Amino acid sequence: MTRPYLAFVDVHKAFAGKPVLRGMDLTVAKGEILYIIGTSGVGKSVTIKHLVGFLAVDRGEIWFDGQRLDQLDERAFYPIRRRIGMVFQNATLFDAMTLAENVALPLRKHQRMRQKDALIDARRRLAQVYLADYADRYPAELSDGMRKRAAIARTLTLAPEVVLFDEPTTGLDPVNARRIDRLIRELSRDLGVTAIVVSHDVPSIMAVADRVAFLYQGRVHTVGTPAELAATADPIVAQFIAGRSSGPMETPGF
Amino acid sequence: MTRPSLVERAARAVGRPALAAARATRDLWLVLVGVLAGVIRSYRPGGRRPPGALLEQLYVIGNRSLVFVAVTLGFIGMVMMYQACLQFSRAIGDLSQVGVQFLRLVVSDFGPTLTGMMLATRVGAGIAAEIGSMKVTEQLDALRMSGVLPIDYLLAPRFVASIVMTIALSLVGGAIMYGAGGLTAHLSFGVNPRTFFDPSLVLPRHLVLGLLKAACYGAAIPVVAGFCGLRARGSSEGVGWATTAAVVGSSFAVIAIDFALSVGALWLYGGEL
Repeated sequence: MTRPYLAFVDVHKAFAGKPVLRGMDLTVAKGEILYIIGTSGVGKSVTIKHLVGFLAVDRGEIWFDGQRLDQLDERAFYPIRRRIGMVFQNATLFDAMTLAENVALPLRKHQRMRQKDALIDARRRLAQVYLADYADRYPAELSDGMRKRAAIARTLTLAPEVVLFDEPTTGLDPVNARRIDRLIRELSRDLGVTAIVVSHDVPSIMAVADRVAFLYQGRVHTVGTPAELAATADPIVAQFIAGRSSGPMETPGF
Repeated sequence: MTRPSLVERAARAVGRPALAAARATRDLWLVLVGVLAGVIRSYRPGGRRPPGALLEQLYVIGNRSLVFVAVTLGFIGMVMMYQACLQFSRAIGDLSQVGVQFLRLVVSDFGPTLTGMMLATRVGAGIAAEIGSMKVTEQLDALRMSGVLPIDYLLAPRFVASIVMTIALSLVGGAIMYGAGGLTAHLSFGVNPRTFFDPSLVLPRHLVLGLLKAACYGAAIPVVAGFCGLRARGSSEGVGWATTAAVVGSSFAVIAIDFALSVGALWLYGGEL
């Protein structure tokens, strides 16, 4: 039996005794754009952080391209982080570095490139996200949307096969949010990158996703195309997609 | 469900903090080992170190603390000497020994320890706040994604710079403290400067003990502060907690190291330090 390109198998994760993931199963095909949606605190970010070794599973298996990830230690994750990139919810650019230096950092460290060569490559990457004119600026001088695009450029410097986006459009105006959507779509279409996107942004989900996984109570409740989700008869999914405050969905804290 | 017995509740009440303390001690140890390994990785011949980071940290930890340390130790030297002269003149009426005894204390204890305490507040708070805010904004994770070990990148240069600069500032601070004390003794009690500034009772072992203390404080402050910063959780509240814990923890470390090294030195020299 061939394993899926990327798979979570019966993954459990708890924090301070409070279970977040309770037997989550999910597969991702190579080159697809999968959105993970669900209410806040349901474990969307927790799910993707397992893929780059920021969190370790309590129980279960995680597979990537035939390799089991849940048994790797920090050092063994370094080559994985060349293949799986991550764009964080905050731009997470380093304040003391210019945009070009920020983008050059993974090249210097992962590929042991010389600073001069890394900076040349970084400028090329910044041009891809329409920030060539801002290469020598510091993050504090830029807007949120620009910082986010620079963070994407930094992630793309290593030409990862998979890119994890943690709420990439949160806090952005609609224009910048749609630019990020377009970028994700181009990455998949032009470079064959597999994208796993954690998001609440329904317009973005409908426009960009190949498939959507809806997380509920620590498990994948439903997986389907955006059209299937939009037409669903499942009252819980329908409540989330429509953004209704009342309905059958249990939301802790309310 | 039956209510837990009093013994059970007492065991839980003691057990949880004890377990948390044991985990924190293990984590602190791991940070120390990680920093030492990071220093070796970064500063061995051909090691990969962040360009300019050590110089920057020498400046931030050393040069920027100079005025703070000099002023604080200067004032403490004046107050201590005023009190010492007052008590000596009341008790025995002879102030000829006050300078030589004070110098011995400044060299082997007060100079490095008070400098260490001052750096624990200023440098410890700074390191914890910086690393803590990087932790809560996921910048440390971004460093890991970029192929950088956060301890090598952030703590290794601070560790080396802190040791070098705590030694240097202890020497400068101790000299200022002694000088300010001598000036106070002369102006307030008429002590002859030649009698006061007499180094005859200071032995090489006093200097070695003082320098050893300074080096240990310099090593402990970034380790404790870095450990607190790495434990920051949540948002600004977590960074605030980390900063407070770093100041308390590194100040406590300075006092504990002072006690341990002083007792060790006394034991080594049979109580005749």
